[in-house]
Amino acid sequence: MRNDLELDAIIEDYLLGKLNAQETEAFEQLRRNDATVDHKVVSHKFFLESMGTFAEQLRLKEQLNHIHSEIDVEGLASTLRPHPSRVVQLWRKHKSAIAVAASFVVLSLVSIYSIQHNTQQAERYRQLSNQVNNAIKTQNSLIRNIKHNNTTSGKPNAQNSFGGTGFAISTNGYILTNLHIINGADSLYVQNSRGESFKVKSVYTDPQNDIAILKINDKHFSNLSSIPYTIKRNTSNIGEIVYTLGYPKDDAVLGEGYVSSKNGFIGDTTQYQVAISVNPGNSGGPVLDNNGNLVGIISGKPDQTEGAAFAIKSKYILEAMRAIPQDSLGVNKLSANKRSLLSGLKRTKQIEKIQDYVFMIKAY
Amino acid sequence: MNNSLKSSVPTDREVILGILNNSEDTLNKLYKAYYAMVLQFILNNNGDEDDAKDVYQEGIIILYNKIKAGNFELSSKLKTYIYSVCRRIWLKKLSLNSKKAGNITDYEDVFAVEEDVEHHEEKDAAFVKMQSALDHLGEPCKTIIQDFYIHNLSMQDICEKFGYTNTDNAKTQKYKCLQRLKKIFFQP
Repeated sequence: MRNDLELDAIIEDYLLGKLNAQETEAFEQLRRNDATVDHKVVSHKFFLESMGTFAEQLRLKEQLNHIHSEIDVEGLASTLRPHPSRVVQLWRKHKSAIAVAASFVVLSLVSIYSIQHNTQQAERYRQLSNQVNNAIKTQNSLIRNIKHNNTTSGKPNAQNSFGGTGFAISTNGYILTNLHIINGADSLYVQNSRGESFKVKSVYTDPQNDIAILKINDKHFSNLSSIPYTIKRNTSNIGEIVYTLGYPKDDAVLGEGYVSSKNGFIGDTTQYQVAISVNPGNSGGPVLDNNGNLVGIISGKPDQTEGAAFAIKSKYILEAMRAIPQDSLGVNKLSANKRSLLSGLKRTKQIEKIQDYVFMIKAY
Repeated sequence: MNNSLKSSVPTDREVILGILNNSEDTLNKLYKAYYAMVLQFILNNNGDEDDAKDVYQEGIIILYNKIKAGNFELSSKLKTYIYSVCRRIWLKKLSLNSKKAGNITDYEDVFAVEEDVEHHEEKDAAFVKMQSALDHLGEPCKTIIQDFYIHNLSMQDICEKFGYTNTDNAKTQKYKCLQRLKKIFFQP
């Protein structure tokens, strides 16, 4: 018994590092030789560790109890206890949700207000043969008037190229475009993708559908080969992929998108809305589907919406074409019956084929 | 009271650094910062103030040990962590007492802390074992052991406190007590 106690004391001193080097040496010798001693060391070590964590947790608990005693539990409890009234309970429970809902309501009120405000301002329809165009044209005519008054001869001043896009509807030089591009212009030219300009004159206008047909009247013009695209008879469905080639700048620009609505500006049934971002100058450009069928003509875009444009439906192209003498269009005219030469081709090939048939319209 | 509690909420970083540095002040602030939240949860879910105190302290201890162990990664706000831990503990207690826990009223976001809570339960079991072993020891052994191992008194102090004639006697007494305690503690 006595021995046991002494052994315990040595083990503890050993574990706590209180033995000097010599004693440690001696004890480790003993430990190696005697498995019972070794076992005791291990178990005592475990015990001391348990005691250590126990002591630590106990101290922490005391500390927490001490802190706890500083808190006015009663006061807090009375305010946090389940309130007899269900309303208060609900409020506490869903405080954050109610806050979110409230801010949502405020937000939607604000946006409704601003939308109304916007509609009061009225979304305007922008014809894509830009406004500057008109300004220049009137300026031009003014200049000419002055010149007439002064009886000075002269060609039109300042060759500014403004206008839009048009496309061939027959191989012998009939070109279809928007009326608003050429409206009020004194002289008209078209330029093809190779940069050759031809003088044209307007042969038919349809103010209702904003369509004009021009005829190339130039001795340098040689007939085109057969028209690659055809007219689509049926109306297109929403989501149909379409593209347009136009001249918002001096080179042809491709715009691709989809039919986004079956009606145009404020429910205009003569037009589609297409999701193609267009710029002034795109007006009059052909809208084609993947198979090379003419779906419509770009004619304008909503003032406030980006990335949307309006296109006149293709059946009005047919109507316009019927309005001019059929013989004059020649044999190789645009029709709805033929198979498009573009179907099955890749987009790049399609563009290559149609770019000779899409013209820049220049109005002076 | 409520406002003053809220105004002194320490930042999560402060808490972690404070605990690692054994700052009592930080522990104090931490404890007071989130007590109301847990109290509200317990009171509204079939508990009383004492339950709240137990659960909350357990939660704080879990957080404390986790930070001390050095493997605490702040993947959420401390507030959410404490709430989730306390919620988990309380749900366990409710099901242990086969009280109805069907419709829990929540006040905060919750995320999974099962692992931490279970890890704590193991630790807590060891704690309870030591506590009961000490309780079984009887006086004066219990006090001697506590004074020596927990309150870190020297053998000299213990000798004087218990009126032993010399420290050797006290030592002998301590080792006798220790032997008995170990026997109880290691009992399966």
